[in-house]
Amino acid sequence: MASNSYVYQDPSEGEQLTNKQLNGLAFRSMLLQASFNYERMQAGGWLYSILPGLRKAHKNKQDLSKSMKDHLEFFNTHPFDVTFIMGVILAMERTKEDREAIRGIKVATMGPLGGIGDALFYLTALPIAAGIGSSLAIDGNIFGPIVFLLLFNAIHFGSRFGLMHYGYRTGVKAIAKLKEGTQKVSRAASIVGLSVVGGLIATYVEFSIDYTWTQGEAELDIQNEVLDEIMPALIPLGYTLLMYWLLKKGFSPIWLIIITVVVGIIGSGLGIMSAGE
Amino acid sequence: MLLEAILIALWAGIIGIDMYVGLLHIHRPVVTGLVVGLILGDVTTGLMVGGTLELVWMGMVPLAGAQPPNVVIGGTIGAAFGIILGVDAEAAVGIAIPFAVAVQALITLLFTAFAPVMHKADQYALEANYRGIERINYMGIGIHFVFNATIAFLPIYFGANTASAVVESAPQWIIDGFSIAGGIMPAIGFAMLLRIMMKTEYIMFFIVGFILAAYLGLPILGISLIGLAIALYDFYQNKNKGNGPTPPREEEITDGI
Repeated sequence: MASNSYVYQDPSEGEQLTNKQLNGLAFRSMLLQASFNYERMQAGGWLYSILPGLRKAHKNKQDLSKSMKDHLEFFNTHPFDVTFIMGVILAMERTKEDREAIRGIKVATMGPLGGIGDALFYLTALPIAAGIGSSLAIDGNIFGPIVFLLLFNAIHFGSRFGLMHYGYRTGVKAIAKLKEGTQKVSRAASIVGLSVVGGLIATYVEFSIDYTWTQGEAELDIQNEVLDEIMPALIPLGYTLLMYWLLKKGFSPIWLIIITVVVGIIGSGLGIMSAGE
Repeated sequence: MLLEAILIALWAGIIGIDMYVGLLHIHRPVVTGLVVGLILGDVTTGLMVGGTLELVWMGMVPLAGAQPPNVVIGGTIGAAFGIILGVDAEAAVGIAIPFAVAVQALITLLFTAFAPVMHKADQYALEANYRGIERINYMGIGIHFVFNATIAFLPIYFGANTASAVVESAPQWIIDGFSIAGGIMPAIGFAMLLRIMMKTEYIMFFIVGFILAAYLGLPILGISLIGLAIALYDFYQNKNKGNGPTPPREEEITDGI
């Protein structure tokens, strides 16, 4: 991570955000996925969510433009705990941290928070709340949907607003340490982030070969008897690394999406692929 | 039927927004069942169908950005047809699923089609035009509303038979192809993350995470905790050596040799 990549036109610290402004930003974060797309995922909504904070931090137009441009880079995390990243990043923007450090912290936190959010909100809170709600609803009880919404949103809004304040306070407090410790923090976050990405590939890229090779009497189930024997989740890993390689070769994400749709349709047309296991 | 179809379409439009923006989770079938029941004048059936659909969709959540069969259209059409046709909850699920899968494919297209808009956003950022960024996001919300309201309206207004005929007339292999592509699609997002995060010195942690999930089937939270443990160990190892802000890359090389 090279420092002094960008020199602020106006290096003076911005004003502190008030609690009311932090709540307003947490409210805006509800639009995180308004312009969701496969090229940058939540980037458009992410910039929208932090924009009032950026405008408070950067009074200079060129600084604001640079910051806006940075925040349009690929971004994807869980929409309920994104406010924690918002808080930390806005604290860093306010004190005019090194732009590469801001970018590093953002990238390093989004993966782990996405994984943790999926685990906590979608795989734990939602099944519990929806399980209680739907068991009441199936009996024709009108409180089913109501109980579901109350339970789920208590957790949802508690996290969304609570983490905004916590992230901003932590960010402000951690800034002094971050100044010398940014690399250590990014390193720690990269370790957690990359192990999570490794796990996500094996867990959520659903892709398997549905083909049995026959020669005379002999039958060979390619997925179960060959690929899984070599390594589980070999195909998802291989495909992800192929995408990674193509990205490095300069292919745009849109091309990768088109390639993937074509692969899916050809695989389906030839009957050699199936979704999931 | 026109008034009911319009009201249900409006609801589908609203929860189509909620699925991505707001996320109050009023888009879950357990809520939609009640609302569609109120519109069609049969709350009890609506609740029962909604509750059953909820169990079907329980595990179908957008993990790591992957699109499951669409819960908005599946929920509204399942609940509406369950009540209108007077079929039991399971049959309503059967009617809802093909629509939900077809819309899953359409959502994949929608998210692809929206990608070029980001280049317009880049230009607004260059000009520090925050209104432009806001407009793009509000436009996205409008598209979700129109998209879901239209898709919900057509089958409900033109009737169950016509609608399932349309879904069935699309070649199955194309629909399957989209659902296969939808399952692979997260790979692109992960590849983009790798492009940003991957450095040679960190490859081992990537491998560890992959092994924990692929061979041991650990859930993501477990993997993040193990990652955290490694990171803490690494942090204190470096700290004990008493090197202040030295870039870790250099230590790593000397340690290794």
